[in-house]
Amino acid sequence: MSDELGRALDRISRVRGMRGSMWVSAEDGIPVAQLLMEGVSGKAVAALAASLVRKISGTAGAVGAGRVRFVQMEAAGGTLLAALAPPDLLVVALADSRVNIGLARIEMMRAAAAVAP
Amino acid sequence: MAEDIRSLTAALARDPSSLVYAELAEALRRRGQRDEALRIALHGLARHPQHVHGHDVLARIHADLGDLDRARLAWSKVLELWPGHPGALKGVAFVRFRQGDVVAAAAALEQVLALDPTDAAARRALETVRRGAGAVGAPAALPVAPAPAEAQPALEAGEAGAQERPAVFSGFDRATADILLLDERGLVLAGGLAGADGADVSELAAAGLAGVSGEAKRTGEYLSLGAWRTLVAEAETANLVVAPAGEGALLLVRRDRSMPVGLALRFAERARGTASAWLEGQGA
Repeated sequence: MSDELGRALDRISRVRGMRGSMWVSAEDGIPVAQLLMEGVSGKAVAALAASLVRKISGTAGAVGAGRVRFVQMEAAGGTLLAALAPPDLLVVALADSRVNIGLARIEMMRAAAAVAP
Repeated sequence: MAEDIRSLTAALARDPSSLVYAELAEALRRRGQRDEALRIALHGLARHPQHVHGHDVLARIHADLGDLDRARLAWSKVLELWPGHPGALKGVAFVRFRQGDVVAAAAALEQVLALDPTDAAARRALETVRRGAGAVGAPAALPVAPAPAEAQPALEAGEAGAQERPAVFSGFDRATADILLLDERGLVLAGGLAGADGADVSELAAAGLAGVSGEAKRTGEYLSLGAWRTLVAEAETANLVVAPAGEGALLLVRRDRSMPVGLALRFAERARGTASAWLEGQGA
């Protein structure tokens, strides 16, 4: 894991309620780097997050909302977050329901901006 | 309509080998009696397996039932019997579009236009497909596509489509331009979405959203997050909030980027409450 990517994951993972964060290849949903709690499947999180982002991006494009930058899916038992880091990465985070989404978003967008060309 | 069905039923009873079965099945389909329509169509086609109109009607029934694979097979049969049949080509385009194959959808519509360059409905549908495909510059598998004119009149109705739907969200800001309610098959129930040019893009959005809902459900299950409640996408010019709104129904709210996500979520929550109450009233 490169230092820069690793430091970004470390900052995101310090947010309360976070169960893990990772860098994912946006196109194929393959993990690039990860910092996850035990029991969290990085491969599953990466694949599902990338697929969800791709689907909602299609809808956003179709309704004229433009390119998607950040996605959050809230569920009964937790939250999945994804920030787009163009051209080809996603920062993905999995959190429980206690997470401060605003804080997590700031850290994730900061991480995404840091790797932008 | 009821009178038509009665007289068609009587005609078929008098002569069970009559081709009138196709008209009866189509009338039943239009009335929403899809299972009965399917039964009549299959029965008729068993007697008349080479009847083009019968296969076309059968395809529409399957499309209404959400069985896209069978719909495509039936329209393929029509094209086998009558190469270049415009209705079947539009039907294939509709199915391919719904299945996310934008290239095949566009190819089918281009065939329609090659046969009849004055077909305005096909031209509009082709523009819609191309707009949807180019919108995100993404790989080909965009889950958006045009509906065939007769099977999905709302797509052709454009802006009028939103006005003709039930006024479920009256009182909400941009009730027919930024709020959409659809059923589990991706069919628009109420509200509407307008594109940047003012054209109705409800069907496009609905087709795509059916895939989003399934993906969110799958994600919640595989990651042990439980049932999903909301999905928010922050995009360049607008924020989208997607939420389940009752048994199989789905709500999409689009808000300008200037509205904070928290407020967009509250707005969506109010719209969801209204939608759920309306659906309950409909017996959904």
